[in-house]
Amino acid sequence: MRVRHFVVPVLVFAVAPALAGELIVRIDDGHGRPAADAVVTARREGDTGQEQHAAMTRIIDQREETFVPYVEIFRPGDEVVFRNSDRTRHHVYSFSPAKTFEFVIAPGESTAPVVLDRIGEISVGCNIHDRMITHLYVSDAPWIARSAADGSAMFDGLPAGTYRLQVWHPQLRPGRPEPVQSVVVADAPATVTFSLSLLPDPRRPGDRERSSY
Amino acid sequence: MAMSFRLRLALLFVATLVAVQIFTALLVYGVARRALIAEGERQLGVGAAAVARQLDDISERVADNVQVLALDYALRSAIAQRDQSTVLSALRNHGRRIGAERMLLVGLDGAITSDTATPVDNGEKFPFPDLAEAALEHAAAAVVAMDGKAYWMIVVPVYAPEPIALIAAGIPVDNPLLARLQQLSSLPNTIELVTDAGDGRWVDIARGSDKVALASALIAAGHSLPLQPTVVSVEGREYVALATRLRESQRSTPVAAILGYSLDDALRPYRSVALAWLSLLALGLGAGLIGAMLIARSVAQPIETLAATVHRVETGDYTSPSPARGRGEIGQLTAAFANMTHAIGEREERIRYQATHDAVTGLPNRLAAETAIQQALENTPGAAGALLMVGLARLPEIIQTLGHTICDRVMRDAGGRLRQFAARGSVARATDAQFSLWLEGAAKADAIAVAFRILDVLREPYQEADLSIDTAPAIGIALHPQHGGEASTLLRRAEVALIAALDSEDPVAVYDPATDPHRPERLTLMSDLREALDRNELRLHYQPKLRLADRRIADLLSLHGVAPRNIVLELTESAVMDKPEMAIQVLKRLADQGIDLAIDDFGVGQSSFAYLRRLPVREIKIDRLFAQKLDEDVGDRTLVRSIVELGHRLGYRVTAEGVETRAALEYLRDIGCDHAQGYYIARPLAPEAVENVFASGGRGSAAAGKKA
Repeated sequence: MRVRHFVVPVLVFAVAPALAGELIVRIDDGHGRPAADAVVTARREGDTGQEQHAAMTRIIDQREETFVPYVEIFRPGDEVVFRNSDRTRHHVYSFSPAKTFEFVIAPGESTAPVVLDRIGEISVGCNIHDRMITHLYVSDAPWIARSAADGSAMFDGLPAGTYRLQVWHPQLRPGRPEPVQSVVVADAPATVTFSLSLLPDPRRPGDRERSSY
Repeated sequence: MAMSFRLRLALLFVATLVAVQIFTALLVYGVARRALIAEGERQLGVGAAAVARQLDDISERVADNVQVLALDYALRSAIAQRDQSTVLSALRNHGRRIGAERMLLVGLDGAITSDTATPVDNGEKFPFPDLAEAALEHAAAAVVAMDGKAYWMIVVPVYAPEPIALIAAGIPVDNPLLARLQQLSSLPNTIELVTDAGDGRWVDIARGSDKVALASALIAAGHSLPLQPTVVSVEGREYVALATRLRESQRSTPVAAILGYSLDDALRPYRSVALAWLSLLALGLGAGLIGAMLIARSVAQPIETLAATVHRVETGDYTSPSPARGRGEIGQLTAAFANMTHAIGEREERIRYQATHDAVTGLPNRLAAETAIQQALENTPGAAGALLMVGLARLPEIIQTLGHTICDRVMRDAGGRLRQFAARGSVARATDAQFSLWLEGAAKADAIAVAFRILDVLREPYQEADLSIDTAPAIGIALHPQHGGEASTLLRRAEVALIAALDSEDPVAVYDPATDPHRPERLTLMSDLREALDRNELRLHYQPKLRLADRRIADLLSLHGVAPRNIVLELTESAVMDKPEMAIQVLKRLADQGIDLAIDDFGVGQSSFAYLRRLPVREIKIDRLFAQKLDEDVGDRTLVRSIVELGHRLGYRVTAEGVETRAALEYLRDIGCDHAQGYYIARPLAPEAVENVFASGGRGSAAAGKKA
């Protein structure tokens, strides 16, 4: 599986008492298998300040009837561009409250940048290809990371302190509170494990078709 | 009896066949039924699993359909935009497409947001959260009870593209559904969906195409849900029933499918077998009956023949029975029986031969001769015939001298000569020493002539080695009808004649009744006398005696009360010769009573004067033989005169009997005979006649003579 190792350590504090803190979050699917594409946000208790950063434009590619990447992290104000690298047309839509849109993208073309100005998770699908799905995770959390194929999300240079960790995953059961843990980060590297209960991967063929009583 | 034997044999055969067939049929039926039940159980076991699997398959397809509906962009868009009216109408529309009676939209929080059946109460929860829960992982389906109706509830998520809601499609579980399921898959025809009515009773909610009410029959028979194969009878037809619980919502009433396996249907292919078997049985019975009858006939017919033969043998018919048919036991029996019959016939023939023939000479014996002669007499009644009795005088001497063996050979030789001679007569050995020869149609002269010729034949001496034996043959002749009308009489009289011939010089004698001491009249007289005495029928007749001196008849006193001295008892010589001592005693007692005794028939017997002298006799009566010929025979006259003189000298009175002429009477008076008696004087007279005689004739003394 193609996984782009994608850890985004973001320095959000101008005044940092220490920068040596390291945190490893391991995420599995409850059966010992690593869960990739989980989004972990960390907030240090006591912090109140807002981190300002420059808006970025990220491209969600569509290749071989698949959105790439599956999960992308955005900061409020970031822009997203959908690019169709396939030879078929794609009907990209979102009914998510954070952003609703609908594009029919001809092969080889891209949409105009869409500004994601609201915090929230935006599920994007293709009305032509049911299995095409991608999630745009818009968050203003100071530290945010996405788990790699091995199910681990790495945080480095965290100021010492107690952190509240929250995990989101596209296959978590909807309507349930997201898993949360607190961890104390000091000089020594800390490790936190999340065991998630995940629904079947909607992208994999057969999962949705397999019904049961 | 033969018929019943045949019938019994046939019946036994048929009964055995039928019994074996019925037993076999029951056995086969039992085995087939058990096998079919086992097969039914096996099929139902497979069927139950198949039902679940097939419902899975169908459910998957239906769920796919619902899922496709859920992916409808307009519907998703309406749902995402919470356009309730559009959502409701789309749900109705899509529900019709898949045959759902009720469509619901359920939020991810489990609250019903749209319901095609009823307006939604705010916050009303979908009643089957387990289905909703499962639906996010995979399309969920279950049979549920809702508002008193059973539904097949299928729940799928609505992806946009992540799950935003659930669509629940309620397809009514009823006969059309089951029919549709049966069209789509190979569900068994005998299937019934039942649900718990709430009180533990299972009621049917749908039946398969053949509409067999398994559940009610099971309940009626006292069964619960047949989770193990159970045999149940529905409207006279037998089924093996097996229930399988269907996947159901945890919140719903349990639902089960009862599958039925019709034993009758399963047995149907065996009906043709049974029909063929019945035909075979009928054929077998027919063939068996015919065979049994044939066998019975082959057994019974010879037995009947044997029985008939036995009856024939019983009546003395020894002709062999029909030759044995076949080589079986009956054939052997018939052959053995034929042999036996033949042997019996031969033996009887031999016995009859022995009974009718003399072993020494091979001639018919006396019995056979008598039978044959009697037969001849009866065949030609009144015809003349002569019976010759041939005796060999020297036979006793031969036996005493040479023994019985030689005697037998002599008799055999004589028999052979007689047989050779007697061409026109039948020779038989009448006694040990006598042969009889019957000459049919022969008169006296013929008989005598034949007799002499026979003597010629037999006088040739018997020759053996250096022996030459003269047998001294003699012949007695009895003539038919003069001497007797019966064969036995003739035989006896010929024998008497033979004895006479043997005693005399003349070797041939014709029977003379006068000299026959054995004539049966004597016996008859004795028994008649006894009988007459018993019946008081005895009548006395009187023959007067003429006293020659004064020619007067002695006084005849009154009939009752004669004094003993006036009675003279007359005795024949033979009467006292048999037991002389006893006779003398009796006679002396009579004499002592004053009764005079006279010797009757004097002169023809063998009495001697010496013997007479011992008897208390006062009178002798000269036999009539002498008086009858006094006229002509000088010898007799001399003899009579001598007897008279001798009697007188010995002190006896002398009476002459049988005086029939005047000359005889004169002569007797001349020679001094005391009395005369005879027809010339008077016949024997009845008492009345006696009185007449005395009334008309002169008086005189007379001694009463007795004549019966």
